Amino acid sequence: MASAELTPDAARRPLAGRRLRVGDLSLQLVAGTAAALATVLVGLIAWKVIDGARPALSHYGLGFVTRIAWNPDSRHELYGAGSFLFGTAVTSLLALLIAAPLALGIALYLTELAPRFLRAPVTALVETLAAIPSVVIGFWGILVLGPALRDHVEPALHSALGFIPLFGTPSQTGSSIFTAIIVLAIMILPIVSSISRELFLGVPRELKEGALALGTTRWEMVRGVVFPYARGGIVAALILGLGRAIGEAIAVTQVIGGGVFIHWNLFDGGDTLGSKIAASYQGATTKLQLGSLIYLALVLLVFSLVINAAAQWIVRRVARRQGTGLNRGGVG
Amino acid sequence: MPKSGNFIRTIALLSLAAVLAIVAAGTAGATPAKKSGTTLSGAGSSFVAPLVAQWMAPIGSAYGYELQYNPIGSGGGVAAVTARSVDFGASDAPLTADQFSACKGCVQIPWALSATSIIYNLDGVKNLLHMDGPTLAKIYSGQITQWDDAAIKALNKSVNLPSTKIATVHRSDNSGTTYNFTDYLQTVSPAWKTQYGRGVAVNWPSGTGSRGSAGVAATVSQTPGGIGYVDVAYALKNHLKFFSMKNRSGKFATPGLKGILAAATSDQKPESTTNELSIVNPPKKYPLAYPISTYTYVIVPTSSPKAADLRKFLFWAVTKGQAFGPKLLFQPIPKPVLVVAEKTIAKIKS
Amino acid sequence: MSSHGISPAELRAVNLPRRKAVNRLMEGLATVAALIAVTILGIVIWSVAKRGAGALDLNLVTRAPVPFAFGPVKQGLANAFAGSLVLVGLATLMALPIGILVAVYLTEFAPPSIRNVVSLALDVLNGVPAIVIGIFVFGLIVIAHGQSGYAGAFALACLMLPLVARSTMEVLLLVPSSLREASLALGVPRWRTTLSIVLPQTVGGIVTGTVLAVARIAGETAPLLFVSSLAGTKTSWDPGHALQSIPVAIFELSESPDPQDHARAWAAALVLLLFILFASLGGRWLATRSRRRLSTSR
Repeated sequence: MASAELTPDAARRPLAGRRLRVGDLSLQLVAGTAAALATVLVGLIAWKVIDGARPALSHYGLGFVTRIAWNPDSRHELYGAGSFLFGTAVTSLLALLIAAPLALGIALYLTELAPRFLRAPVTALVETLAAIPSVVIGFWGILVLGPALRDHVEPALHSALGFIPLFGTPSQTGSSIFTAIIVLAIMILPIVSSISRELFLGVPRELKEGALALGTTRWEMVRGVVFPYARGGIVAALILGLGRAIGEAIAVTQVIGGGVFIHWNLFDGGDTLGSKIAASYQGATTKLQLGSLIYLALVLLVFSLVINAAAQWIVRRVARRQGTGLNRGGVG
Repeated sequence: MPKSGNFIRTIALLSLAAVLAIVAAGTAGATPAKKSGTTLSGAGSSFVAPLVAQWMAPIGSAYGYELQYNPIGSGGGVAAVTARSVDFGASDAPLTADQFSACKGCVQIPWALSATSIIYNLDGVKNLLHMDGPTLAKIYSGQITQWDDAAIKALNKSVNLPSTKIATVHRSDNSGTTYNFTDYLQTVSPAWKTQYGRGVAVNWPSGTGSRGSAGVAATVSQTPGGIGYVDVAYALKNHLKFFSMKNRSGKFATPGLKGILAAATSDQKPESTTNELSIVNPPKKYPLAYPISTYTYVIVPTSSPKAADLRKFLFWAVTKGQAFGPKLLFQPIPKPVLVVAEKTIAKIKS
Repeated sequence: MSSHGISPAELRAVNLPRRKAVNRLMEGLATVAALIAVTILGIVIWSVAKRGAGALDLNLVTRAPVPFAFGPVKQGLANAFAGSLVLVGLATLMALPIGILVAVYLTEFAPPSIRNVVSLALDVLNGVPAIVIGIFVFGLIVIAHGQSGYAGAFALACLMLPLVARSTMEVLLLVPSSLREASLALGVPRWRTTLSIVLPQTVGGIVTGTVLAVARIAGETAPLLFVSSLAGTKTSWDPGHALQSIPVAIFELSESPDPQDHARAWAAALVLLLFILFASLGGRWLATRSRRRLSTSR
């Protein structure tokens, strides 16, 4: 029909009013197969993880998720994800609590305060922090950060704030939940800060200049214009940072000390879902133990998917409302 | 624009070609013919890993074998050889009946003999402090928490012990050394036996978990006040202090060759079907015996495509290989056990 | 407005010193935050550089590791360097073509409904933690066939795929439709248009995306732990068996009690860090360049 009308849409619709060509069909088929493979891959991941967890799934059902146990003793073998879920929640949330204000501060500095010549280098520096592999940060944590925290920070916190159960007896090894929290905070800082920076850059200049023209101070302008405008995106950035912290296994397992306890003292050891899986990579003795390990991975997978879906949903809502370039899609 | 576009394209194609060339050349170089029959891969106990590491060069020059060994812990070794992803497994914990049947025709051969040392990191005190079983059990179950506790002081009257907190370190992976250690604890402490028992992993009430004997040695050496259990070769290599343990005859024995040999004399008859031996906490009549000594076993399938090479390797290991042991405090296995070992090795056929 | 007869202007003047103080405080805090970030980065890089440079020599790349060496022995991590090259190379070979094809399909052929589904799948794939990818490949390949370099490369490719697809899509969308329309108007078939006209415009962006993706997976440890970690000490290029890799080697050495092992780990970490930094910064520079070129040629 519209054989000569080359609107952009028609240029992309494959069979609009022209005869079929073998070449076109083949390319579409090949490319379509690749896309199908990518989609199937996701389903395959979910299926394989569920399949691997089956010995524990059928044995324990959903009770596994809240049980606080990991007892490989052959006389009373018992496994559960409870203490690791707690560890994941505590480490990720507290890491976010530490990293979020720092990240927002950095983003504000880079968009509002920094002299022009500093902006590019400091931005590059912060993004470099994101490029450091987790195993290197974990290694640094074992030999440098851990002993520093153990010798100086933990005793200071304990003597100043020891009445709070969080800051109990300092650890002796340098490996503790506290060290893991600091390490995670360092790792999620660049993600939250770079997304926030792009958000702040996207705030329309007229809005900011209008506020300033009305006589607000720069902080009041940020508080009254930038933050409300970018609020949805900031929440998404925080959630993405949280998702990154939840999924981190290597650096955490190197510095967290290990243990199946639930206790309030941050200076004790513990384990998260990711760190427990990574710590057991050298083998499981029984089918039930292997199944339980994979069950842990399943729980971790579900949590990551939920968190990332939440972030994506917020991003889409904000993008639809404001039409900003927020839908870069994908996590940092 | 065309110029820089071409430049980038050229760089991209060149890098891709380089990567492909490297991968192709490399994979072509590692031909299958070269690998079969000459690589013997094993995995398992980190306890025996120092000795196996000493064997790699001499075995290579004697028979041309390339010996590969991954110290992933006794539990991992048993799992790996059961899945036939390695040619032999190594475990300090003897196989259970279930593991034997899962392994489908594997034999268990004692191939080395050494001891688990209890290492400690305490400034200002000498090496070879005294310790006994019940006190050790109380330390690891969290009942004794400080170095200047009365029980420890009583064993070391002339030593000025600091009031540092004790930081216990245990194995986080499935470990034959844990099996040996808890085997000892449960024979000297009925409370430990009921609460924790023995195994390649137990439900530790507290303390830090580390991977492998190397990990435990690392953690203890970096933790003031730390205590841990490792094969004595690790204590030697890393210059860690360790205890002399009180044995059944009331004497304090060290995990040296004499102490290990005395302990080994207490049981020279491997079990008829499983070949296992238990030399933990030997009876009174061995006054020199170190009470936390253990044999360590190699687990091999009786029928395998590399049977002839495995036989050669294992014969060498239990005879000539033992000579590499003493400087790492591996006591050469006594004659009666050697005879049984050789008989079992002969069972490995293609 | 005010019950005390003070005008808004005077009110503003009364509060102004306090507001200015608050403003200065907040500006100070923001600057401190930036300083903290830069300081942390500096400390980490300085630690790695100082300890790594001391142990950095050619032995690291040419000699194999010697486990339980008593006394000083010349050893290195040759097996890890070779293994990493093979793993990353194979992963790129697996992920690059599929990633480009997926991007082409999404931008040139897919109706909006399918585009949403596939895009969602890519986003989900991007969000799966690396350790779960490792468990997935463990269940898929390793349980049945044992560890291998192919399995390790496949795990890394799963991580690379969304990154390559996404960056290729971005660059494909930047190619002006006028180019496509002109080609179609001249009678060039769709497939030729896509392959010979559109894609060549995007090579710069694809290279950039690949370089950034390689920088990302070069340092990944978690997917390889379960899949390619039981490797020998001898240098091997054969992906049929498990291959050692630099991140896994650093992971294992980080738990050793031997300061010599730590030294080698620092040196390997330094090399890895330099490679990743070089690749990331280079990739980003290429990205801004090619994006600037494409958008100015509209």
